Amino acid sequence: MITAHVGDLLVVHGRRVGEPERDAEILEVRGPDGGPPFVVRWSEDGHESLFFPGSDAFVRHVGHDDD
Amino acid sequence: MRAIQRLQRSGVGVGPERTIQQVAQLMNSSGVGSIGVIDDDRLVGMVTDRDIVRRGLARGLPADARVDGIMSSPALTIDADASIDDAVEAFRTHAVRRLAVVDADGGFVGVISLDDLLLDMARDLGSLTSPLAAEIGDPHRDSPVPVVA
Repeated sequence: MITAHVGDLLVVHGRRVGEPERDAEILEVRGPDGGPPFVVRWSEDGHESLFFPGSDAFVRHVGHDDD
Repeated sequence: MRAIQRLQRSGVGVGPERTIQQVAQLMNSSGVGSIGVIDDDRLVGMVTDRDIVRRGLARGLPADARVDGIMSSPALTIDADASIDDAVEAFRTHAVRRLAVVDADGGFVGVISLDDLLLDMARDLGSLTSPLAAEIGDPHRDSPVPVVA
């Protein structure tokens, strides 16, 4: 299970050749033990959504003492 | 029996009060073509880019209309622990391009697409046919017969 902290960066791979990665800041962790769903803010335009990570996504942890 | 888990892509979800324009912009920024509509932690519907065009724009709905007015509800779903065969059957039965993946409690956890399923099946076929193609294309590639003194 993917886990995250508030402030971590979510990265989603492009779905087609040439399509860029998307990223978003994790604003809230709603699942148990740091798991999904996450509330995220997409960096491209600031829109917020719930996010349920699949095989195309990973979390880049940002500056936590326990990393 | 292989599970669909490795084909499961991330799911993006919004509340039913979001507008059509907000959801269209979110599809653009998140790079997805379908979004789960979630109310009180329950998946109440799915909206696709096609829904925005056919049920929204084509009918003259304003950009600030609520997204739950154009979503498909109830959403077509498949269990997260379903097999590839189950997915094939579901796509065949419902004639859709995407299915919402749900966990044992019915919670939205992601999306599986017909495109990804077909690509996966094509890869499997390729791995089966490549040895055959090599044999047909080069019939003299057999190991040499040992020389018996």
